[in-house]
Amino acid sequence: MSKKYVKVAVDAMGGDLAPAEPVKGAVQALEKRKSLHVTLVGKEEVIRAELEKYKYDEERVEILDAREVIEMAEPPVNAIRRKKDSSIVKGLKLVKEGTCDAFVTAGSTGATLAGGQLLVGRIRGIERPPLAPLMPTAKGPVLLVDCGANMDARASQLVQFAQMGSIYMRNMTGIENPRVALVNVGAEEEKGNALVKEVFPLLKECEGINFIGNIEARDIPAGDADVVVCDAFVGNVILKLYEGLASTLIHKIKDALMTSLRSKIGALMIKPALKGMLKEFDISSYGGAPMLGLRGLVVKTHGNAEAVEIKNAIEQCFVFKKKDINGQFVEKMGLEQNGKAAGQKAAQEEKAAQEEKASPEVKAAQEEKSQAPAAEERSADQ
Amino acid sequence: MDMEFKKLCSIIVDVLGVDEDEITVDTTFIDDLGADSLDVAQIIMGIEEEFDVTVDSDVASKVTTVGQALELIKNAIDD
Repeated sequence: MSKKYVKVAVDAMGGDLAPAEPVKGAVQALEKRKSLHVTLVGKEEVIRAELEKYKYDEERVEILDAREVIEMAEPPVNAIRRKKDSSIVKGLKLVKEGTCDAFVTAGSTGATLAGGQLLVGRIRGIERPPLAPLMPTAKGPVLLVDCGANMDARASQLVQFAQMGSIYMRNMTGIENPRVALVNVGAEEEKGNALVKEVFPLLKECEGINFIGNIEARDIPAGDADVVVCDAFVGNVILKLYEGLASTLIHKIKDALMTSLRSKIGALMIKPALKGMLKEFDISSYGGAPMLGLRGLVVKTHGNAEAVEIKNAIEQCFVFKKKDINGQFVEKMGLEQNGKAAGQKAAQEEKAAQEEKASPEVKAAQEEKSQAPAAEERSADQ
Repeated sequence: MDMEFKKLCSIIVDVLGVDEDEITVDTTFIDDLGADSLDVAQIIMGIEEEFDVTVDSDVASKVTTVGQALELIKNAIDD
């Protein structure tokens, strides 16, 4: 293979619609990107039977046989450790070894998150890799970091989420200076729990991001920010409420439109406009949720992803690699130069600044305390 | 310092990004090194790979210190 390909591994067994939709999506992606190579991971005979339905460039497709499948209900860490012949483990290992640049799966979210960290590993200096899906808003997509990976995040980790989210959004959606906001219960700096109060000043001081302050959950759908930062507990609640509310509203509107002849006629008239509006809210065109900060890219799509979402997720990996977004994380977050992550550095600087700002009384007490042993030593000498 | 301890330290440094000087047999993964359960699982997987052994999940879940991980390696090699 002399040509330089972007190589993406695809879990052919993951998700509710596997293997048909992942294989179809992979074929569609190959059709669109001529410098793309796909490795389909799963039961070989099943994948071959699916591939026979399509015409495709055989030079750019490989099959990696994997006999096991990690089920949705399995404990993630145990499944990753024990099911070594599963499509998720084998696919992630392709990224770990550098054989592939990225891995796309519609399979178990827990196993993907655990496996991403356990098998692929983090970029040195990245404290925790967040899962960052795009959500639709009135003004385009917003990146929610983190929505599932780190339930008890630290302040320095949220700073890294903001930095990675900002770089990702700039490159993937073309927003020049993405607005980064911190999820809180009010707009004022002094509001919130201990974590957000600690993060706010760090984000304010963080270079390279356009931090616009706190955002309340109700302002997210209006599109008031491009990158929304929170721990995974908050992020997951936001995501699920968002999905549930949208689904309920759509059903309610449909029910209301079907109640009488007059409303049905009205429905017919507004149908094209409604369809157009719903299309704007379809984020499958952006692919899946990336796990940011790993030594390769891992993308998790919806469990019921159809071919188009898989295709777009593969394309997402293609762009991610072409734009060297991991390289940008390293360069712009100063990960290699400092050894420690920029977020950690920022946290240390903040701590030092707080000590500097300590009141004169506290300072005097601290000085007295630090001089005490020396004074004792002197008196002992005498 | 025996070879097993050296190799274990190298795995811990790789996973957690801590200084080797911070690691003794009494060091705890979570309280002293700031690890979480996923980090510990990653260290156990590193041990399995490095020493070509299999660690039982129940045993692995009880490991909290570097000394216990070392003990686990020695037992697995003896088996």
